[in-house]
Amino acid sequence: MSDKAKSIASKKSSGQDERLQKVSKLRLLLNRPELGALGGAILVFIFFGIVAGDTGMFSAYGMLNFLDVSANLGIIAIAAAMLMIGGEFDLSIGSMIGFAGICIAIPAIYWGWPLWTSIIFAFAMAVLVGYFNGILVVRTGLPSFIVTLAMLFILRGATLALTRLITGRTQVPGLRVLIENDPIAWIFATDTFTWLFNWLGSMNLIALRTDGTPLATGIPPSVIWFIAATLFATWILMKTRYGNWIFASGGDKNGATNVGVPVGRVKISLFIGTAIASTIFATIQVLDAGSADTMRGNLKELEAIAAAVVGGCLLTGGYGSAIGAAFGALIFGTVSMGIFYTDVDTDWFKVFLGAMMLIAVVFNNYVRKRVTESK
Amino acid sequence: MKTLYKSILAFAAWVMLSVSAFAVDVIVVSHGQANDPFWSVAKNGVDKGCADMKISCKYVAPGTFDMVEMAKLIDNAVSQKPKGIVITLPDAAALGKSVKAAIAAGIPVISMNSGSDDFASLGISAHVGQTEFEAGVGGGQKMKAAGGKKALCVNHEVGNVALDRRCAGFKKGFGGSVDILGTSNDPTEIQKAVAAKLGGGYDTILTLGAGLAGEAALKALESAGKVGSVKLGTFDMSPGMLKAAAAGKVEFLIDQQQYLQGYLPIAIFGQYMRYGTMPAGVVMTGPGFVTPANAAKVIKWAAQGYR
Amino acid sequence: MSENLIEFNNISKFFGKVIALKDVTMKLKKGEIMCLLGDNGAGKSTLIKTLAGVHRPDEGEIVIEGEKTVFDSPKDALDLGIGTVYQDLALVPLMSVTRNFFMGREPLKGLPLLKTFDIEKANKIAAERMSQIGIDIRDPSQAVGTMSGGERQCLAISRAIYFGAKVLVLDEPTSALGVHQASMVLKYIVKAASEGLAVILITHNVHHAYPVGNSFTVLNRGRSLGTFNKKDISREELLGMMAGGEELDKLEVELKEMGRLNS
Repeated sequence: MSDKAKSIASKKSSGQDERLQKVSKLRLLLNRPELGALGGAILVFIFFGIVAGDTGMFSAYGMLNFLDVSANLGIIAIAAAMLMIGGEFDLSIGSMIGFAGICIAIPAIYWGWPLWTSIIFAFAMAVLVGYFNGILVVRTGLPSFIVTLAMLFILRGATLALTRLITGRTQVPGLRVLIENDPIAWIFATDTFTWLFNWLGSMNLIALRTDGTPLATGIPPSVIWFIAATLFATWILMKTRYGNWIFASGGDKNGATNVGVPVGRVKISLFIGTAIASTIFATIQVLDAGSADTMRGNLKELEAIAAAVVGGCLLTGGYGSAIGAAFGALIFGTVSMGIFYTDVDTDWFKVFLGAMMLIAVVFNNYVRKRVTESK
Repeated sequence: MKTLYKSILAFAAWVMLSVSAFAVDVIVVSHGQANDPFWSVAKNGVDKGCADMKISCKYVAPGTFDMVEMAKLIDNAVSQKPKGIVITLPDAAALGKSVKAAIAAGIPVISMNSGSDDFASLGISAHVGQTEFEAGVGGGQKMKAAGGKKALCVNHEVGNVALDRRCAGFKKGFGGSVDILGTSNDPTEIQKAVAAKLGGGYDTILTLGAGLAGEAALKALESAGKVGSVKLGTFDMSPGMLKAAAAGKVEFLIDQQQYLQGYLPIAIFGQYMRYGTMPAGVVMTGPGFVTPANAAKVIKWAAQGYR
Repeated sequence: MSENLIEFNNISKFFGKVIALKDVTMKLKKGEIMCLLGDNGAGKSTLIKTLAGVHRPDEGEIVIEGEKTVFDSPKDALDLGIGTVYQDLALVPLMSVTRNFFMGREPLKGLPLLKTFDIEKANKIAAERMSQIGIDIRDPSQAVGTMSGGERQCLAISRAIYFGAKVLVLDEPTSALGVHQASMVLKYIVKAASEGLAVILITHNVHHAYPVGNSFTVLNRGRSLGTFNKKDISREELLGMMAGGEELDKLEVELKEMGRLNS
């Protein structure tokens, strides 16, 4: 055994190892990519708690309002984060949302398909689009930024053109009546925990309608999907071999290939992931609004990427966290709705979004330097 | 790094001190952004109404024409428990759930500008605006009186039900033949599309928007030298069309008087809060006709933001 | 000659009209450290890639433990025991030591269909292997970026050995390192060879190569200038062969002339 190894062994036996372990646990915590986003979320809540505490923002109905917005954004932000960790971008997320919405609405309203079939059709199209994005990026070696930017235009244009061609308009309404009794739609359209809200209402703990029922009826489906997506993505990244492959593909594409990681397959599957997340978003929205619109999802990919960056994901790949992206989405959702409780002009929200991104990138850069330089 | 943190914290503290939030009496949730020339007039009406009624109001709108976001804003407004909510209703199906929740929560709702067909079924107390069909009828009658026989109705936002109604009403009031021309909302494309149709023997053109479609159609007529031989009328107003009317190039502008659409709901709520009074049905703010006779005065008021 | 672990016989590689390698022959026994010397452009990287299975030789044959072999892919070469450590190390600085060590070959546990990455086992093994080569990392889940250049090189080599390399091919392992770090790596290489591996050490630095090498092959413009045992050749002679000794002598004379003129 080398001298150094002997000294390590002796340290262990003398109990000094416990102290070393404690220091590294704290360091580990401070070095996590989620830290910035968590801190940001706490700050945002403190801010609005002080400024808008008694405006109704933190009433049950008010909280559901910003949580719903955060959750919807979170679903696509998490998928965008995983793709970013894998070293790529998907700028076509917003266009996919519009496209998926039309894939659900047109068959259901104009071709007489049952709603559940249309929903499955939309997800099938998502797999195709994601696969197409992935294959293009992997085979051509072109930057995904360019490939998916092209798909952004292609998908949006196709959505507009096909919808006008088939329906003569840019909107497809009339879906709400189809939700009842549909075997699949309820998964995307049902409020949960209604018993809890009924009970809170009966105890007069939350606001009531004039007929005595609670104003806030239940947890919206987006929140359940959001929590499920966060747990699923975190499990994949942290606990599976595939997750290690994602980090490797983003961290060093060539090196990973050299040690046997199937980088191409990993990236293609991540693109399918963002397309599916876009379709989940679209399905929830279409069923909530009862209609599809060709312009839905416009610019959402930028918000998703911003949330992922705020959540600690490096634009160059190989580092990041799904939980961080979740907190990033929570920050943006809370502020985008919270701003309406104040007297601040809502145009400032865009300034806030950009400023948050800058601060997050600076902070994450600092954390990353500490992670790779501390000894 | 430390200076960066310190400056961020200082900025956050400053923002916190300067931002305030307080309970508002009436919240207006509109699909029209306040910086839009049409909607800024309506917002002026809202502001004046609040000042006159001595109540507090807030005007909010989504960043783009997004019904999903607008529904969220209505929910947001409900959570603030105002004394009344004013909304526009461009899509009753998408907004219905949120509107019904507001009414179920005991907050009275008045609609303005759009939704004259649907407001009653949602439980909305009253609607303030111009009903599209009737306004179209009025326009059609005026054109008929001016001697028009063959008309072109230019629809620059196909799918907008309100605009469809305008053309339909115009057809009824006009009596003669009316063809509908659907275009995008790009002014150059509209101008080209109208120019292409000018060979078809039309003696009347109606556009459904002034700044975008009206001025584009006017340009097409000017290029073809047909101003005067082809009568041009438009819904809504714009500085360019007003000038053209003052110069006699445009037959009329149909002014829906959005200043009243902003002012009257506030005035109604102001009295409702005091004495519980509420009108029933539709309060018509239009059609108000701006013709070469009164265009000059309207131009003056438009510059001040009242028309 | 079945006592040779690996033989590279008369290997040639052409890229269109360019002759990258011509008639290169190398033979290695178990435990032998062969240094492949040559200046930039001599053909070293083509040779490594052919060894690693990235390129197929156009002429010649590769013989492993007496059997003629053809590599269809880098994975083929890996499976047959050729462990290549490239200059960029194939390490991701932001990922932990453990995740890097097991990249592409992660140990699994759990039910089929729901197999998870057995991080606990991986951490243990990584920590063991690191301490075995004398690298003190407090925590195998800390990022590779916290390790020095020499430590990272040792990690990459240790990974190749752990996953069953019989022949280690190291591409310029000490080029980017300072003296202290370089000696750490060289010591590890000697240790690995003493445990039965054959090592091909590619470098342009004779001063690093000479102390540890058993034999030396010099490449110049795609051709081998010969393979020499350490006892048959001196460091200066090797240097001379690599740099094209006559040219260096001429350069020395010219520089002396310039110095006299300028002083």
